[in-house]
Amino acid sequence: MPVIRMTDVCKRFGDAVAADRLNLEVEDGEYLCILGPTGAGKTTAMRMICGLTLPDSGTISFDGEDVTELETAKRGATMLSQQYSLFPHMSVMDNIMFGPMIKEWDPEDSKKIAANLLHMVHLESRSKERPTHLSGGQQQRVALARAMASGSRILLLDEPLRALDARLRLELRKDLKSMVKSMGLTAVHVTHDQDEALEMADRIAVIRNGRILQVGTPREVFDTPATPFVANFVGRSNVITGKVSSREGDTISVDCGPVTVTAMDPVHGIGDDVVVAVKIGNTRISKKEEGFFSGRIERILYEGVSITVEIAVEGLGLISSKLPNRKFDDYSEGDEVSVRWMPSAASVFDIPECGLEEELRVE
Amino acid sequence: MSLIKTVDEISSNPRNRKAWLALACVIFAVIIVIPAVYVIFSIPSNWSGIQDVLSDSAMMSIIWGAIWNSFSLAFIVTIIDIIVGLPMAWMLVRKSYRFGKYLDTFIDMPLAFPTVALGFSVIVFWGCPEGITVPGTGLVVDPYLMVILLHIIFTYPYMVRCLSGILEQIDTNYETAAMTLGASKWTAVRTITLPLFRAGLVTGFILCFARSLSETGGTYIVLRMMGATTLDVTGFFTGPTLISTIKDIPETDSMPVLILISSLLIVFALLMLFVAKAVMTRLRIPWRKVWPQFGRRVSGRKVAGTKDVLAFLFALIFVLLPSFYIFVCLGTEGTYSDYGGFLGAVGASFLVAGAATVFDVIFGVPVAMYIARNRGTKRAELLDNLVNVPLIIPTTALGVSLGLFWGQLGLSSMGMLLVIFGHISFTYPLLVRNLVGAIEEVDPSYEEIARTLGAKPFQAFRKVLLPMVKSSLLAGAVLAFTRSLGETGATQAIADVSTVPIYIVDLINANDYFGAAVSSVMLIAICFVFMFGLRIVISRMGGKD
Amino acid sequence: MPKIKLEHVVMRFGTVTAARDINVTINSGEYVTILGPSGCGKTTLIKMISGILHPTEGRVLIDGADVTDVPIEDRDVGYVFQNIALFPHMDLKDNVGYGPRVRDMSREETDAVAEEYLSLVRMLDRSGYLPSELSGGEQQKVAIARALASGSKVIMLDEPLSALDARVRVELRYDIRRLVKKLGITVLHVTHDQEEAMSVSDRIILMRKGTIHETGTPLEIYRDPKSIFAAYFIGETNLIECTVVKRTKKGNTQVVLRDGSVTRVAGIRFEVGDPVVLSVRPEHVYTANDGIRAVVRDVVFMGTYWRVRTEADSQDLIDYNISADTDTPSKGDVVYLVFNKKAARLFARPIQGLQEEIVLE
Repeated sequence: MPVIRMTDVCKRFGDAVAADRLNLEVEDGEYLCILGPTGAGKTTAMRMICGLTLPDSGTISFDGEDVTELETAKRGATMLSQQYSLFPHMSVMDNIMFGPMIKEWDPEDSKKIAANLLHMVHLESRSKERPTHLSGGQQQRVALARAMASGSRILLLDEPLRALDARLRLELRKDLKSMVKSMGLTAVHVTHDQDEALEMADRIAVIRNGRILQVGTPREVFDTPATPFVANFVGRSNVITGKVSSREGDTISVDCGPVTVTAMDPVHGIGDDVVVAVKIGNTRISKKEEGFFSGRIERILYEGVSITVEIAVEGLGLISSKLPNRKFDDYSEGDEVSVRWMPSAASVFDIPECGLEEELRVE
Repeated sequence: MSLIKTVDEISSNPRNRKAWLALACVIFAVIIVIPAVYVIFSIPSNWSGIQDVLSDSAMMSIIWGAIWNSFSLAFIVTIIDIIVGLPMAWMLVRKSYRFGKYLDTFIDMPLAFPTVALGFSVIVFWGCPEGITVPGTGLVVDPYLMVILLHIIFTYPYMVRCLSGILEQIDTNYETAAMTLGASKWTAVRTITLPLFRAGLVTGFILCFARSLSETGGTYIVLRMMGATTLDVTGFFTGPTLISTIKDIPETDSMPVLILISSLLIVFALLMLFVAKAVMTRLRIPWRKVWPQFGRRVSGRKVAGTKDVLAFLFALIFVLLPSFYIFVCLGTEGTYSDYGGFLGAVGASFLVAGAATVFDVIFGVPVAMYIARNRGTKRAELLDNLVNVPLIIPTTALGVSLGLFWGQLGLSSMGMLLVIFGHISFTYPLLVRNLVGAIEEVDPSYEEIARTLGAKPFQAFRKVLLPMVKSSLLAGAVLAFTRSLGETGATQAIADVSTVPIYIVDLINANDYFGAAVSSVMLIAICFVFMFGLRIVISRMGGKD
Repeated sequence: MPKIKLEHVVMRFGTVTAARDINVTINSGEYVTILGPSGCGKTTLIKMISGILHPTEGRVLIDGADVTDVPIEDRDVGYVFQNIALFPHMDLKDNVGYGPRVRDMSREETDAVAEEYLSLVRMLDRSGYLPSELSGGEQQKVAIARALASGSKVIMLDEPLSALDARVRVELRYDIRRLVKKLGITVLHVTHDQEEAMSVSDRIILMRKGTIHETGTPLEIYRDPKSIFAAYFIGETNLIECTVVKRTKKGNTQVVLRDGSVTRVAGIRFEVGDPVVLSVRPEHVYTANDGIRAVVRDVVFMGTYWRVRTEADSQDLIDYNISADTDTPSKGDVVYLVFNKKAARLFARPIQGLQEEIVLE
């Protein structure tokens, strides 16, 4: 049975829709990321799970038990907030002991729990200090220990890495997840960072305008996106529009003005207007082989583990291709290259009702 | 302990929390808002008496004169405060002079002085009243000017506080950004910082205006000692002092006059509040036109330095020196022996101030919480505006109104209780405003996190929010307490309870200037002990972090 | 002639030294990022160039002229703040036109300039909006237009993207670079995000603890870092403590890991017996039939590739990448790892310990 289940949950703030028939299930021990742009309603979804915001309609249940009306304190869902919100008037130790103190557990036991957690987050030596004296990363670990000490089985993480330096963030992704997993907690992690979600999540729920667009494993969300937005938000995509001109089995040809491309798609018929999206990482370029079309390399960006090549294609604008860094020496700016992709790597969608530009907007 | 636990439990039900808030609101309405404006509704039942007053043209010209004086004085004083308060606030917030810390403390001091003591001190410093052997400057003989000089002293600290509070909140990056775009310091401040300042100006304006409008004791003493409190053409009154003067005349039935003056004061004051808000929020500080050359010239160090020196000199000559001049009076010859009477008055003052403050804390906290945590909702805004109403109403008029309201309910014999109610009215906003500001500074996520960790709402309040705002709560309480201790007009208008300020006014009325001076100094000493006690407590709290 | 030059610049705040003996030269039209962890002094550096801070010692030169004592408003250095700082009471056009206006341009000229720069960042259709009506990314674009519209040929970007969503950040960083390159502006861009620095700059200045740690093009620093910290901070890398055991005739160095397993690295900079740290990036680690024995701990999907996290018998944690369309090993599998010996680097082992050397905060 899923630990958390949200059924048809709706929430409005004035005119703004924060949750529009939200349905979500989180399994026991799962690490789920809610991924979406600012204002998508991800934080609202999380606040409704722990009861800090009450839904207008719909139900929320834990272990099959309806908790929609239950007060926050009794839900047993603990939140780790973006700014950590460590109580400034208490020492690190007292912060961690807050949950046990409120719940009036046996002081000896509580102390043992707190000591263990302090050890786990490597902060034994700082237990008497005020949180303001700690660095950002240390504060984050104290907040995590505090949340874990409260004995909740559900941990809600509200952009827990946002306030940290980029490099540190990268390091802490691994640590955070392994600590949560080692305690056997069920975690819901809200983030706007698709790399973070891909790396940390067991499953990702992509949310926008209060709606869940897709739920799936990182690989599913990345490889088979449900909408053009998901395709472009979770890893950049080249997105082009055209008309289906022919079909051969599951492979269709799409006429996109000056060029024709192919894609795998069992659904659309000849004459349909469609959007084709291909991850820039799946967009291949070549100087020798034939492609769907060709263009001139405008710029090559060396980005570390990969390089991004921007190709100006007549009639399509800029097409990007992400390649392993060892290809850097193979190309230079001004080269004519052909562009192609595996038909199975392309996703095909209907033209979105709101217009493609609006659909792809990332903020 | 078990009581607290019970409250913890009760607090977990949202219905109970709503009920508690509703109760606090009802009490706030019944004890504070309704009695404060009741006088206006008593006009019909006293109409015949009022008609007599209206047809008495001599009386009416005195009344109109007094009201005109009150409002014009308050306006002039507030404008002066803004002009001289701005550079001072700037200096305190943006400059790091070594004496800045001390200046900060000194500016606050007049707030701890009861206004009767200030009035006495000012008249001795600027004027040269008969019967006083202390050498004054004797520069000022005009009562209007004298009252302005007095009112500047106790409104100036409010303005400086208010402006520096806003200034601290404005991100300096705006100004820096303007300067990287080529604007001189002066141009940047004028076109960027000042236009962002409006909210602070509105609050400062209303606070100072209301305080000046409301003041009775000090003004009365100044006018009395200048011999200007005769009820004829030679007299000079402000609204509140006119009320206390008329009230002091025995035998005649002065009620209709009092009702009329009070109603006029209240109505005009409320009008003023709305007009001020409307005008100030529409006020645009022009930023489109620039004069780069002129800006460059006045951005130099010399101009800035001169401005700082002038701001400091103003504070010294017009605020600090006149306030402290009263201590010189102690050096004169004279006898004072009525310590029993003084102590009795102190007892009454403490009882009133203490009871009012305790009430403020108990019923102010939930209202403050509600306002701070529901900003932007209509109900919270309404409550916020209502809380400020007693602040703008002159306390003397408030006293008259309160006396009438509770008198209707047959409580007029319980003088002490009514005085306490009166003091609650004008101290409550002080505490609530302070607390709202403090709570708004605390990110709600602290309480929310506490609740997800298992804390019930009252536990989250008690263990998390309260410790974080307790210094502000304490500051608010002390502010309320000292304000109550120094209040004259309301007490006088409600009942014959001899608090210290009343005691001092009585001494002045009896021409016992030396006695008045000694009592004033003793009252100042008491207030100071309080303020210092507070500073120590607060610095201890801060010291832990 | 270099556009900006810092000579022996020192900045102290009380007892804290935020910058010590900085010497930097920035060429005209160059896009340079200053990269480093929080508190390394990178923002202090650009604040000194723009005149917001006055250096305790040393000289700042712009176009060859000493501007150390020139006030902010006369330096003509644009500055874009992390928190954006658009004037909240002015609409976009007035914001962008602020620079020209305070330089006493006429109303018509001011409007023309404002419109020109707003259209450059594709925000002209919103010129009457207030900043609060825009999203974060849009606000930052306007802030950049405002800095450029004042006529500055040099702009400082103070973590311009860190307040924005990750996805917006990626989009905007390319936009910014395109724009400033088109206009030939010299840019100093401060960031703590190594990925951002890699993808926009002509040159990266890596700062640490108030000093310049290393400088180079993104390619140079990534491929051939001069220090352990640079290798670790810019891009991900595996750091393995080992000892030199042999220098081969072919010009390779043979090193031994803690458990005795052996691997080779090209080059012979170290003597036999030297304690060293081997740095090899995950994309240069491959599986083979023989090599360093390791157990798979985790397999993570990274979009275009899989990241396999392993623990070697030497207790070193070694990550490697495999292409997204290949089969992945499972947790607990044993794999044998070899390194691309030309891409791996050796560094002297730091005296204070490896962990201390790479500490991030």
